[in-house]
Amino acid sequence: MRDRCAIVGIGATDFTRRSGRTEVALATQAASAAIADAGLAPADIDGIVRCEQDNVRHNDLADVLGLRALNYWGSTGTGGSAPAGMIAQACAAIIAGLATRVLVFRSLNGRSGARYGQGRHAALPVGGNGSYDEYFLPYGLLAPGQMFALIARRHMLEFGTQPEQLGAIAMACRERANNNPAAQMYGRPMSLDDYLSSRSVTDPLRLFDYCLETDGACAVVVTSADRAPDAAATAVLIRAAAQGGDAGQQPGLVFPALMRDSLTAQPSARVAQTLYSRAGMGPADVDVAQFYDCFTITVLLQLEDYGFCGKGQGGAFAASGALGLDGALPINTAGGNLSEGYIHGLNHIVEGVRQIRGTSTNQVSDAEVCLVTSGLPTATGALLLTAAR
Amino acid sequence: MTAELTPVVDDPDTGGYWQAAQGGALAIQLCSKCHQPIHLPRPQCPRCGSTDTSWREVEPAATVYSWAVVRHGVHPAFPVPYTLVLVELRQYPQVRLLGRLDGDPDLVEGQRMRIRFDHTATGIALPQWEPLPHHKGEKQ
Repeated sequence: MRDRCAIVGIGATDFTRRSGRTEVALATQAASAAIADAGLAPADIDGIVRCEQDNVRHNDLADVLGLRALNYWGSTGTGGSAPAGMIAQACAAIIAGLATRVLVFRSLNGRSGARYGQGRHAALPVGGNGSYDEYFLPYGLLAPGQMFALIARRHMLEFGTQPEQLGAIAMACRERANNNPAAQMYGRPMSLDDYLSSRSVTDPLRLFDYCLETDGACAVVVTSADRAPDAAATAVLIRAAAQGGDAGQQPGLVFPALMRDSLTAQPSARVAQTLYSRAGMGPADVDVAQFYDCFTITVLLQLEDYGFCGKGQGGAFAASGALGLDGALPINTAGGNLSEGYIHGLNHIVEGVRQIRGTSTNQVSDAEVCLVTSGLPTATGALLLTAAR
Repeated sequence: MTAELTPVVDDPDTGGYWQAAQGGALAIQLCSKCHQPIHLPRPQCPRCGSTDTSWREVEPAATVYSWAVVRHGVHPAFPVPYTLVLVELRQYPQVRLLGRLDGDPDLVEGQRMRIRFDHTATGIALPQWEPLPHHKGEKQ
């Protein structure tokens, strides 16, 4: 798949706490912006890929956009682990000849609608039929942050990881958001003291280890590299995409991943191998990275797994200054899920495209290769975006 | 307790765990072919593919693998603070189970834990894990 497809259009809504619009309306706005950015019309779109957790279905969006010939649609998951895989699916459809221009979107009223941080609301009794909820929900494990707190504690026990090191990740994201007018945390600086004194939500994680809750949508248009030069905006090549689970991944939606052989050995390690192999590149080639950041610990684990430091060294690496705009590995240059907005990781792909185009509000000079990752601890995915030659 | 989150106890794959708990025992699923624990329980062994599995009672002793203290509650049945504790069985360390402790008890990695069976209002036995009573001079 190397360099055979490109992202030619990006779009996003405003990111708010109360959109006052339906998720279909948000998706439509982001999709229309992405299509216009590519210099295309809705009639040019013949494929749609969505996240399986999205409430907006392919036909909802195809209908409201007035698509004339929808020839392909697909969806993938899980949640924040989906976006890179969504792009991979669009590429696969294009390379297979099933579609020519595929719209990829994610839309959610994540603050004014269903709030993921409020915990799972399952019918009583809980569990059964492959959900394995019966092993978790009756014990009061209900929200993703509670699971990631168990993962963070384990990393602290094994490697001596410190809160200040997680704080360095939160601060890097916040500082970038402070220079991104579209970010929800624009104009709201945060010091390390602010981070450390933020309230404990589930110890060892604090409020500012948690991502935002956001109403909004993002969309991108993927097409073949052959067609990409026709686009109005600078095309960004998809150098490679990879998805991966591993043996002992564990079943269910997300909580069963607590039963993995090791909580500090995540599927991102295998995804990184596949991705770099497909791309013919390695971590040294990466100029800027957009790491999925539902929580700070999620980024820390990926710094290790994508090869930017050794296992257990994620904390020291994060606190070294490497993650800043002038550091060795600038991350989450729009602010990420932690400080830009929580569009479930599709905003990371939009920002990755901006970096390669050279249009980010936090532009990394001469950025030619951007890593974009999706979530943990479920089977996950990642992309490498590069400039067209 | 408000609207307890009672578990499904009659699922074809996981029911053996809950049936053993109802009888005051801890049981895990074992593969009859490769003799490895299958946890979480599954319709076939992920290692060797065998569908010949059985439930075996195991020693209800464990050690602390990780824990987290919930201070911001999201459900009325679980007043905060409480502590989620993830333990690994001493007999099968690859088998991990979750428990809930009231408050914010002092815990350390590797601390020895014993089982306790709580019962829901509807009488379902819920295996829980609690620290062994501390004896002076005992190595934790």
